[in-house]
Amino acid sequence: MRARPSTYVAIVTALFLLTPVFAAAGEGGQDESFEPPRTEWGDPDFQGRYLPGPGQPMEAPAGDPWRPPEGTERGHNASFSRFFAPDPDAPSRPRPVRITKPMVVDPADGRIPLQPWAAERRGEIMARQDELELLDPRVKCLPSALPRAHLPVGYNSYQVFQVPGYVVIVYEWNHLYRYIPLDGQPHVNPNIRLGMGDSRGHWEGNTLVVDVTNFTDNTWPIGHGAPPEGAPASALTTGHGVFHSGNLHVVERFTMIDENTIHYEATIEDPKVFTQAWTVDFVGLRRAPEDHMLFEYACHEGNGRGLSLMTGVDIDSVRVHSTR
Amino acid sequence: MKLFCAVVVVLSTAALGVAESLTAQTAGTQPSSYDGPRTSDGKPDLNGIWQVFSTAAWDIRAHNAQDGIPAGLGVVEGNDIPYQPWATAQQQENYANRMTEDPVRKCFLPGVPRITYMPFPFRILQTQDHVVITYEFAHTVRIIYTDGSSHPLPNDFWMGDSRGHWDGDTLVVDTTHFNDQTWFDATGNFHSDALHVVERYTLTSPYHIDYEVMIEDEKVFTKPWTMRMPLYRRIEEGLQVLDYDCVDFILQSLVTQEGGAQ
Repeated sequence: MRARPSTYVAIVTALFLLTPVFAAAGEGGQDESFEPPRTEWGDPDFQGRYLPGPGQPMEAPAGDPWRPPEGTERGHNASFSRFFAPDPDAPSRPRPVRITKPMVVDPADGRIPLQPWAAERRGEIMARQDELELLDPRVKCLPSALPRAHLPVGYNSYQVFQVPGYVVIVYEWNHLYRYIPLDGQPHVNPNIRLGMGDSRGHWEGNTLVVDVTNFTDNTWPIGHGAPPEGAPASALTTGHGVFHSGNLHVVERFTMIDENTIHYEATIEDPKVFTQAWTVDFVGLRRAPEDHMLFEYACHEGNGRGLSLMTGVDIDSVRVHSTR
Repeated sequence: MKLFCAVVVVLSTAALGVAESLTAQTAGTQPSSYDGPRTSDGKPDLNGIWQVFSTAAWDIRAHNAQDGIPAGLGVVEGNDIPYQPWATAQQQENYANRMTEDPVRKCFLPGVPRITYMPFPFRILQTQDHVVITYEFAHTVRIIYTDGSSHPLPNDFWMGDSRGHWDGDTLVVDTTHFNDQTWFDATGNFHSDALHVVERYTLTSPYHIDYEVMIEDEKVFTKPWTMRMPLYRRIEEGLQVLDYDCVDFILQSLVTQEGGAQ
């Protein structure tokens, strides 16, 4: 499954020849001419460990850029900043926003096409982040859902595995995983709801196309970086507070554009919440250094104190009945 | 109780489907004579969805039935856990407080080997240099490195750090770097952060893995001890591992208590 030396020679040669193309492709561009290595059964070989891509805003703000009131700090997550200093043990985050154009490429204005009621609801959600029910699902340790699991956040690191008939992605954040079957079988029964959705994939040339449905309705499809505290939802560029219904349908396209980079594109459809399908497009996975390994991200286990401070509820008092 | 009934029905179905090969199950520590499908690198092919069919998640030792809990002969060899005297007392205290103190009831990661015999399926993914086990309970993942690497510097994980190698046709997984927060079952059998677990997975038929697990913890036990049980292959057509996200159940119960929208 590892590429043979001759394959590497070919890749290096190809990289050299393609350099001008990359430069021209630049931000958000997608070069599909790269020939990825192959698994022994002939599929493009995406296996390995990856870090997320560079920082990039999700959306264009609706109005004038929002500025925090004098004397307040900016740049911290609204939910956390009142209670916690930055985690000194956190892995280094992707460099501060380097790419300025929004990940949303369709519609062309870079805005998430929320229906009017949904835009209003988003404002309410962001204004009430001190309530458990409306609090950011990732802060509550619910699954990331998609495409949120692929956004540039420090703990979003990945390991991709392949066996004949499947691509499997393991996510470091909150130990999530997805089996992506490639056998053309239909989605699981619509009564079944899954935090990361039900994935069905196929190869289009060298691009892995994944159709995902059967999501729950208690996650957010996007949201990364730090929404500045006090900013109105209309001024956000981070995607926080955008929600979805159980009708969410995501179509992802993973394309290896060079030996170390997988480009990511996702079309998001939910007729109950959005006025149209919309598309995000960004560098999704960058090959990690040799010594990188996925660590255990035990999210819920240490979350009680934080949730208690933020929302006043005592999550540590609750017991479930998973075994009698 | 509802969950328990559903699990028994599902498991009975799975067990019936493979009843004819039960006799192929080997006992004892003899290597299996079964020679089944192999991966392209010549190792026994463990890929698939598996589940334990026993009452070990409730109690790993022999126990009588209680309301909602079936009786069981236990999975501990000799039925004796060699606790140090203080640890016997600690286990009894854990038992008395089990309804509130069992970490699994708080939806914490169950640790190893408890995750194996929770009443939920799990899927084994086997490549040349990794065996990945993805469990339905709390979307727990173990990445087991079979690339010859050794444990990294000591750390503190709920699920430990797992390194595997093949001993003939047996996958041997050595797991260390645990915290002291998990239990072996719902009766409060426990360990310290010195826990060392060695699991042996041996395919004994197309539908069975002989699962043996050695437990060592010099802070809690007087000597190592062993559990053994079969893993059964789940053979239902179109089966996939689904979600049991108990974090969501906890959140929902809080929102409901507050008179929220749920």
